[in-house]
Amino acid sequence: MCELRKRGVAAAVICSEPFVGLAKTQARVFGVAELPLIVIPHPLGGLDMAAVKSRLEIAVPQALKLVDKLLA
Amino acid sequence: MSTLDDFMKDPAATVRLPDDYTAVNRFFIQRGWSDGLPIVPPTAERVHAMLAYCDRPLDAAIAKMPPRYGEVTPVRLAINAVMAGCEPEFFPIVLLATEAVCDPAFNLYACQATTHPVAPLVIVNGPVARELRINSGINAFGPGNIANATIGRAIRLALMNIGGGIPGAGDMATHGAPSKYSFCVAENEAENPWEPLHVERGFGRDETTVTVVATEPPHNVNDHSSNTAVGVLKLIAGTMSTTGNNDIYNYQDGTYPQPLLVFGPEHAKTVERGGFSKADVRQYLFEHARVPLGAFSDEYIEMRFRRKYGDAPLDTLIPIFKRPEDLLIAVIGGPGKHSAFLPTFGATKPITLPLKKSDGTLAKRVQDLRT
Repeated sequence: MCELRKRGVAAAVICSEPFVGLAKTQARVFGVAELPLIVIPHPLGGLDMAAVKSRLEIAVPQALKLVDKLLA
Repeated sequence: MSTLDDFMKDPAATVRLPDDYTAVNRFFIQRGWSDGLPIVPPTAERVHAMLAYCDRPLDAAIAKMPPRYGEVTPVRLAINAVMAGCEPEFFPIVLLATEAVCDPAFNLYACQATTHPVAPLVIVNGPVARELRINSGINAFGPGNIANATIGRAIRLALMNIGGGIPGAGDMATHGAPSKYSFCVAENEAENPWEPLHVERGFGRDETTVTVVATEPPHNVNDHSSNTAVGVLKLIAGTMSTTGNNDIYNYQDGTYPQPLLVFGPEHAKTVERGGFSKADVRQYLFEHARVPLGAFSDEYIEMRFRRKYGDAPLDTLIPIFKRPEDLLIAVIGGPGKHSAFLPTFGATKPITLPLKKSDGTLAKRVQDLRT
């Protein structure tokens, strides 16, 4: 994602809450400190379909906000 | 910059602390520069002494260590080796093992940041392993030997202090593992009935090598009953056949994990006397270390196996590793009827590097590296 961002491609990382610190540090290390994160509750894996949908409901508005920002 | 004195001229290179062991340790622990155990204060004199067996430029980067991608230089590594309690003679092994874990194929980034309880196991082979008295025998994976304890610890401190593998920040292990404090052994070549690990991996018996493998701690195989090759191997296959390991999980995605089987010398000799070569051992365990598809949950089958196995019956046997040649074998330990299986992180390759002088010629003993 950092590489895409560096090349000017709109990109974001979906990240569960406990991993936000790691994601921010890594983005900084790779020179893209402003890399957008779409933060969802943990866990990311081992979910049933209802839980996946609930993550989606949290992630989609964040993604749309990022798109709005790009278009503004 | 070529000397430690030059390095020390940079005010950012040093920190001035009271000449008090407890205060120094408190400072290091508060800064997060320790593994939680007391460290040996890395004074300029000690760091200088640590570099006595390093024939490379002190500040030349040998690698970048993830996830922080900090530059690994001999002087930075020497600081961590002093903190770990290493003797200067151990430093060439610390340096070589660090180079090995930074090989891209080892996938240190993922090994550092993962939730899996992985640590780089360092296996030393060859004459310098014996010269440094790295324990390959009784309690080799355990405490009591300064070389094993401090070489492994130096690598861990480097992974934290240079690489940024800080728990909760760059190291997200769910549980971690005791092996993350220190994980260094030598192969027991004298008791190995087959060719040693490094010879099998293309090096000469007279060469010293370091092999790093990203593994879980050892899973014991107790077999005081079997006295045939097939008997011992059957028990080993049973111990290896678990559902929750990363190797079986990862190789469904196209990787070739290489788990490690550590024979205790007695089991190794029983198996070898039964006419089994290492290749035979691998073939037997590839065929017998298997888990029935039905031992996995429905969801696991759906996500990991459906594509390959389709609607195969639940008694279909799934190998623990992908190909016979993928199993690493070493002989380590003392007397006793125990062996050990070490599943890996999965998305990683073992790396073996030879101990050489900076001019590329073989270092036959540590003295060859003395500057």
